[in-house]
Amino acid sequence: MVLLWLMAIPLIGSFVVLIAGGRLAKGLSAGIGVIELIAFIVLLAHGPVALNYRWIPAWGVRFHVGADGLSLFLIGLTAVLTLMAIFASRGSFGRAYFFWVLFLEFGMVGLFESLDLVLFYVFWEVILVPIFFLLTGYSGEKGRPAAMKWLIMNLVGSLFMLIGIVAVAVIHAQPFGSLTFEISRLTDVKLGPAVAPWIFASFFVAFAIKAPLWPFHGWMPDAYREAPPPVTALLSGVMSKAGIYGFLRIMLPLFMPQLRHYQVGLLIFAVIGLAYGAFMALRQTDMKMISAYSSLSHMGMMALGVFSLTAAGILGATFLMVAHGLIVGGLFIVLGILEDKTKTREVEVMGGLNDDAPRLGAYFLFFALAALGLPGLPGFVGEYLIIQGLVAHDVVFALIAAVVLIVAAWYMVRLFQGVMQAQRRGSPIGDINALQVGYIASLALLIVFLGVYPAGITLHAAPSLYHAVHLVATKGGHGL
Amino acid sequence: MQGVAEIVLLPLLGAITIGLFKGIMPKKLPGIWASLLVGISFLVSIGMDLKLASLPPGHRVISGIFFPWITGFGPAIDWRYYLDPLSGIWILIITGVGMLIHIYSIGYMHDDPHKARYFSYLNFFVFAMLLLVLAGNLLILLIGWALVGLASYLLIGFWYHRPSAVRAAKKAFVMNTVGDAGILVGLALLYIHFHTVSYSGLFRIFDASHSSAFFEWTAFLLYLGAMAKSAQFPLHMWLVDAMEGPTPVSALIHAATMVTAGVYLMTRLYPLLRVAPVLAYIVAAIGALMTILAASSAIFQRDIKKVLAYSTVSQLGYMFLAVGVGAFTAGVFHFMMHAFFKALLFLGAGSVIHALGGEQDMNKMGGLWRKMPWTTWTFLAATLAISGIPPFSGYYSKEAILGETFNLGHPFLWLIGAVAAGMTTFYMFRLFFLTFFGKPRDEKLYEHAHEAPAVMTVPIVILGIGAVFGGFLGTWLNHWLLPAFRMYKGAPYAAIQYGPLWTTGFTLGLAVVAFIIAFILYIRKGTSTNAATEKGVGRWAFNAWYVDAMWTYLAVVPFKAIGNSVRQAEVGILAGVKGLGTVVWDWAQDLRPLETGYIRRYALSIMVGLGALLAYYLIRV
Repeated sequence: MVLLWLMAIPLIGSFVVLIAGGRLAKGLSAGIGVIELIAFIVLLAHGPVALNYRWIPAWGVRFHVGADGLSLFLIGLTAVLTLMAIFASRGSFGRAYFFWVLFLEFGMVGLFESLDLVLFYVFWEVILVPIFFLLTGYSGEKGRPAAMKWLIMNLVGSLFMLIGIVAVAVIHAQPFGSLTFEISRLTDVKLGPAVAPWIFASFFVAFAIKAPLWPFHGWMPDAYREAPPPVTALLSGVMSKAGIYGFLRIMLPLFMPQLRHYQVGLLIFAVIGLAYGAFMALRQTDMKMISAYSSLSHMGMMALGVFSLTAAGILGATFLMVAHGLIVGGLFIVLGILEDKTKTREVEVMGGLNDDAPRLGAYFLFFALAALGLPGLPGFVGEYLIIQGLVAHDVVFALIAAVVLIVAAWYMVRLFQGVMQAQRRGSPIGDINALQVGYIASLALLIVFLGVYPAGITLHAAPSLYHAVHLVATKGGHGL
Repeated sequence: MQGVAEIVLLPLLGAITIGLFKGIMPKKLPGIWASLLVGISFLVSIGMDLKLASLPPGHRVISGIFFPWITGFGPAIDWRYYLDPLSGIWILIITGVGMLIHIYSIGYMHDDPHKARYFSYLNFFVFAMLLLVLAGNLLILLIGWALVGLASYLLIGFWYHRPSAVRAAKKAFVMNTVGDAGILVGLALLYIHFHTVSYSGLFRIFDASHSSAFFEWTAFLLYLGAMAKSAQFPLHMWLVDAMEGPTPVSALIHAATMVTAGVYLMTRLYPLLRVAPVLAYIVAAIGALMTILAASSAIFQRDIKKVLAYSTVSQLGYMFLAVGVGAFTAGVFHFMMHAFFKALLFLGAGSVIHALGGEQDMNKMGGLWRKMPWTTWTFLAATLAISGIPPFSGYYSKEAILGETFNLGHPFLWLIGAVAAGMTTFYMFRLFFLTFFGKPRDEKLYEHAHEAPAVMTVPIVILGIGAVFGGFLGTWLNHWLLPAFRMYKGAPYAAIQYGPLWTTGFTLGLAVVAFIIAFILYIRKGTSTNAATEKGVGRWAFNAWYVDAMWTYLAVVPFKAIGNSVRQAEVGILAGVKGLGTVVWDWAQDLRPLETGYIRRYALSIMVGLGALLAYYLIRV
């Protein structure tokens, strides 16, 4: 039941906020966020669960939801980061804003729980709506075109995926005659050589646009830049994970032969994206853009882990999804506070702000270090596992990834130093207040915990990934 | 488990408590609290070493697991600790010398408004270093390794208003990341092949293996980490810039902690060097190169701290030379002696700088011996030690390295090291004479100069005792370390052995000549500035052989260029997306006339379509 509650709480909550909201909207949403977090903890205590109801019997569509090691922590990430975003949002945005934030949470949780392709697709579309309104309504005048671009690109992806879903189900149904959309039952689908590449591509494009992976990131710079910082945190922290999650949840079980066939090409794509994002970040002067392109780079890293098709790489990608979500979410929130205080995002007109805001500086440094993958923090865990997976496949990719880690250290330190250190520039700002310290510090503590004890996640995630890994092992991959 | 955790966690506790409560702490508390915690950690370290000594030789390992770091696939990687005679030496030096530097800092940072932050960082530094040397596998070592890099970043950039400090901190961090990346890939390779990264597991495998290209490359990747941390060519320039931090930090970085991490790693991995002989020779060769390259730069510097910085790079070269040729005990011996005399030199230089109100240019010093007797005479002891004059400590350790290099059949490397030793004597006495003797060259600064307070001089004197008498520890060190080096294959010549008498005579002769030249130049003639740095070899050496420029042209510029071309590509991609949108928009515009709104038109098109479909099927059938 807790699975349903996890969806119901934000859904009901969003309408409660919409109706009762007013001045209390922010506090009310925070309360709902906390309840959702508690529900997640209950789920965590439960362990893997699943529910399977009939939904549209005529098409064999089922309401099949579940939380296993793969999705469990992404649900947790959604709960945590949504709460952080609510805290970081201005109360003056009004109740509609908080309605959409909670509605997005509903969509994300639903997406991560879905184990039926049609259900998955429904939630895939559901999350388009709140994000579109969050992008248009609460950002500058450039927000509208950014939102349009985002919507159109993602809709194109969705449509491709819809075609893919129908095709897979229909092809699967041919020998047996009964339609099913359940992922677990579709795994034995036999795709002929004529259709396989097209179906593969239709899913791939949808997921690559959502993540985004290079070169499907056309919507990303504008959307990340124009969105209010808490929304950017949600976009890059949670929503982007939907793409990678799609690879893990759907493509690994369904398209393993194709993945294996195109593996080298996919790895090259991913590694280009990894390097591309890092070098873009190096040459940006807008602090939000540095962080945005670093996020693109990390998406490439996760994709590398997935496409390494090794247990370590896939586990690393799973871990990095959670770690990166928390870290980049925190980073965007800190940058948002800075932007709020300084009214600018240009690194070149800032400097030495650590004098005014030492606490903010300390947390900024923390998130920057976490983002560059400092060993001891969770970003490193994911990167280590991914590099280990790549080494098993081909050491060249591992070496390139390692070089990009150096670039990451460079641009992140450059960002931090440019804003907080060196010559004092810009008008004085105040430090963060106790409430801000409270939620940022709790996020930081959680991140430290995951870095020191990643076994807490991998222990749970590994058995669920076993299925995917088993496929790898039997088809001649590296079992490690 | 008891004991090891305390050693590591006490300094961390200090860093956290000071960091959190610095606002409400009394002004003097952070320094005392930080020193106290490192002091307790030092006492526990002694206790642990005694416990280690009570075990039979050959079984002196205390290791275990705190909890798993990562599990799931394959063998777990744990938070594993490993205390053996080697790490036993390191923890003593880190906490012991570290404590002295903490105490000294209480005096040195007395007037700094941010001294609480300073002590928090300092404690964190000690914590990270202890984690590094007590780690029981390469992964936990890497965590400590990176945290040391972070600590150095924080401390080098402590005065973050100075653009030079910010630059130096960034450089240190990025160069250290190069090393981290090397270790990361190296350890992933080891895990993939052997399913373990713990020392004991790996060493058993190395013992059963023959040398191969795989081991050479893995060792190279790990050596890359050592290069970055221990300032080996070409990753050494950050260390010279690292003096941007407060002077006690330089003492901590250069002497007791950070830079010796690479020496520790390579010594720890002696079984790997056995199966990677080519890499071992490269380690030795680069070490020898560093001794002379850095010494040549030190000769021409004007800044007192820069001379010492280059001297550290040079001395690290000796340690790597020792590791590379297989003289492991000698390398550790030199590390210990270096910790004493180099910490002393930096703290002494700090006292001078403190007394002169922040002046670091030796051209403005001179004659300070009258004002600062304690500093002067302890500094002299350390100068004699680093110059390798018997019976001071450096003589024994340096001779051990050079002698064994010669004995093991590397006369050329020996010659380089011996010449560099002579140069060391020269630049150190140049520094000593310019700073403490001759006429004061800046009367105003000289007037204000004063001896440092006791809180600063007492640590210096204690270090002085080590610098003078440390050399007598050699025999004990042999006894202590040899069983550890016998546990696995790879260190047949680990014991300290001195070379033929004439080699010692040769280096000593060079040292005497160098001393006389320095005496004539800087006492008799009173030479002060170096016109020599304007041209020729002097200019190259003064600018550290333009390694920085090499980095700029070989790494920074190309990387920025890649960044720029990527930015061009990005413009293309974004334009492409927009273009795609425009194309669709144009199609839509073209199709608009079709949407006429007339029912008959629609009906007609439906009929045409239906007809076409029918025709298609008819033809097919």
